[in-house]
Amino acid sequence: MAQKILIVEDDSFLQGLATTKLEKDGFAVMAAGDSVEASKLLESGAPDLILLDLVLPGTDGFGILKKIRENLATTKTPVIVFSNLSEAEDIKKAKDLGATEYMVKSNFTLDELSDHIKTLLAQK
Amino acid sequence: MNEQTTETTTQEIARLREENAMKSDLISVSAHQLRTSLTSMKWILKMFMDGDFGQLTSEQQNFMGKAFESDERMIRLVNEMLSINHAADTLEHMRPQPVDLVALMDEVIFDFSGESYKRGIQLMFLKPESSLSPAMCDQEKIRVVLQNLIENAIKYSNSGDRVAITISEKSNMIELSVRDTGIGIPDEEQPKIFGKFFRADNAKKQDVVGSGLGLYTTKRIVELHNGKIWFNSKHGEGTTFFITLPVAPRM
Repeated sequence: MAQKILIVEDDSFLQGLATTKLEKDGFAVMAAGDSVEASKLLESGAPDLILLDLVLPGTDGFGILKKIRENLATTKTPVIVFSNLSEAEDIKKAKDLGATEYMVKSNFTLDELSDHIKTLLAQK
Repeated sequence: MNEQTTETTTQEIARLREENAMKSDLISVSAHQLRTSLTSMKWILKMFMDGDFGQLTSEQQNFMGKAFESDERMIRLVNEMLSINHAADTLEHMRPQPVDLVALMDEVIFDFSGESYKRGIQLMFLKPESSLSPAMCDQEKIRVVLQNLIENAIKYSNSGDRVAITISEKSNMIELSVRDTGIGIPDEEQPKIFGKFFRADNAKKQDVVGSGLGLYTTKRIVELHNGKIWFNSKHGEGTTFFITLPVAPRM
């Protein structure tokens, strides 16, 4: 069965592109634009990996990450924080909240991201 | 100084600090926005290049590759702007070590060889006959300084011009100069050129792209190293920039 990835990204264009690419690479993708949608999708079962943007309307990515880690079902789910913020304090905050990886979006192409996800999931 | 003046000065300092923090935030926020757009271009171009939307002809492949490269340059620029912003604002990330400035300058000149060739400008590095002592500096930050000086010299030169670079050692300091014969800086603008976001009128008129941050950060970085920066310039005849950096203490 295809491995499930949850993408939390409010920019619909980026969300669409990432979904297209990851589906092409054989993943089952669920996409959310904010924390409310993300919570709903998470109720239907934990994904194998979560790709999480930080700057979002309403509860931001840090808040979502905190909830993900507090939720027993997702406390061990790998979370890649995928954001265009790159300040040292943002990276530290994400790591402290339990992010598995921190990737600056503009420094990666989607095939690099996809390869990275495969590597992470293979280590599980 | 009477009490009122002290109070006004304190308020003034607080206001300047706040303004500085605001500008720094403005850079971080704009960088984030820029990156979002640049990221979508990067992703979509790469997907085209990888044939995710069907096979491309070699001509299409070629142009997509060029667009991708151009987007990558822009991303580097944004990354650089952020690191400069950071570098200028904090001392704590300085990693000073003995650096061979001749070798560093060679690398920077090499990086600009494509650009200078395209603009028809010759970069002449007049190296010293005997070897120089290494300078004590953060190599990556000083690389930004050298890049800014060379980039400005190329940007404000005319096709066919030469840019001359010299380096020498004087009383425990390494002195570097970059001379161009370009548009020069008008007298009345000269006191302002190291200001944040400042751009000279004649530079703007020539429609050269610039953030107005280059010389500001260059000066900040040089001064963080206990070095000096100054220039001679004549409107219409060209500009020479000088910087000094301390020699690394001998082991």
